[in-house]
Amino acid sequence: MKDNRIVERDVDNADIRINAKGVNVFYGDSHAIKDVSVDIPANAVTAFIGPSGCGKSTFLRCLNRMNDTISICRVTGDILLDGEDIYDKRVDPVQLRAKVGMVFQKPNPFPKSIFDNVAYGPRIHGLANTRAELNEIVESALRRAAIWDEVKDRLDAPGTGLSGGQQQRLCIARAVATAPDVLLMDEPCSALDPIATAQVEELIAELAENYAVVIVTHSMQQAARVSQKTAFFHLGSLVEFGETGQIFTNPKDPRTESYITGRIG
Amino acid sequence: MNTNHILSSFDRDLEGVQAHLMKMGGLVEAAIHDAANALENGDTELAEKTRKADRNIDALDELINEEAARLIALRAPTAIDLRLALSVLKISASLERIGDFAKNMAKRSLIVNAQSPVDGVPQTVRRMARLVEKMLADVLDAYMRRDDTLAAAIIQDDEDVDQMYNGLFREILTFMMEDPRSISACMHYHFMAKNVERMGDHVTAIAEQVIYLTTGQTPGAQRETRDLTSIEPALSAPEDK
Repeated sequence: MKDNRIVERDVDNADIRINAKGVNVFYGDSHAIKDVSVDIPANAVTAFIGPSGCGKSTFLRCLNRMNDTISICRVTGDILLDGEDIYDKRVDPVQLRAKVGMVFQKPNPFPKSIFDNVAYGPRIHGLANTRAELNEIVESALRRAAIWDEVKDRLDAPGTGLSGGQQQRLCIARAVATAPDVLLMDEPCSALDPIATAQVEELIAELAENYAVVIVTHSMQQAARVSQKTAFFHLGSLVEFGETGQIFTNPKDPRTESYITGRIG
Repeated sequence: MNTNHILSSFDRDLEGVQAHLMKMGGLVEAAIHDAANALENGDTELAEKTRKADRNIDALDELINEEAARLIALRAPTAIDLRLALSVLKISASLERIGDFAKNMAKRSLIVNAQSPVDGVPQTVRRMARLVEKMLADVLDAYMRRDDTLAAAIIQDDEDVDQMYNGLFREILTFMMEDPRSISACMHYHFMAKNVERMGDHVTAIAEQVIYLTTGQTPGAQRETRDLTSIEPALSAPEDK
């Protein structure tokens, strides 16, 4: 009999949402990402791990063209979202970022009400025609971010007045409000306490039912807990990419082994 | 891969639990050696000493279990470290069982020593025990050196133990048919032979753990059983687990 918990982690047959091939990133003369190819599966959590400066955040930021905002940054190679090149001239980065949402390390709610924080994206992208539709989108986003019950009675209160963990879930609600296909998370729990971390991790597992989630984390235990696929970056290269259980029990590359066991590579 | 953790106390924990495992291995080797000698030489004192020494082995097993559990809880080991923690637990359990078999052998030798000996049988049991003792020494060596090739060779060696057991089983049967007065002693000899055969199986299990620790793969194909006495109906012996 196959164990359900093992089956749950079996994502090898899942569709590929993002297909990156031979991606290189340069900051001026510095070669930050070296020929990285990776397939991000749909409906699963993919974790990027690696020491500081290994390029994992830089690579994550390529996936919704956040690096466009840095003038000296140059990206080469192909990144396909559902088969379409996201670096194509015809792609509007603003539209792209509605499809590929992002959550950052520090909770960064807008200095607006809880409602307006979540309604911001749907408003600028014109996702709602009536106030009732907008209300529905906001409620559904807050529910998906598992914070609805805590804020439903004070939607007009400022988002910045919430606790750190609540603020982060509010940011997640803001990210899912535009109905993205992919959710990028850069160290989403590093500013949170263990309880809030556990809540966000549980939320990540639920979100993976509908989205491709990519999470950058320094906590290897977090990567082990939440992800089905793990990618290990080192000095700008993708050293190893595989099923999380395999990476944490029997990594193929000695550099991966050195890093995850706490011996520096 | 670098061998040392950045956090040196992690290394000390790993070294500590392995040092206890090796100490336990040494005690178990000595237990096999002494139990076999006590039987061959009819040495009651040595048999008694071997029987009592088993409690030291059991105490180390408990200590190792505790240390491994703490290691898993506090260090959250991964990859090679995780495999080490898991293999330590399994190897310790196998060593503890081998210790029990040696203790049982010592107890039975106390009984048969009081009866008239059956020619040649104690010597054969002792030869079998020597072989298993050598295999155990080798497998502990393979563990320390992380040598999966040596471990694989030890798994093959266990076939010799099984063959010796099969031969001895028939020999004992013949003795019992020739002289029914020897049945009581022969039954004890047979259980001792079976004990040694089971020790060999546990050494094989340890060798498998060495391969898992070193390569991350458990040796797949199960070795065919060579204990023919359990599959030949005419010679069927009771299963002694």
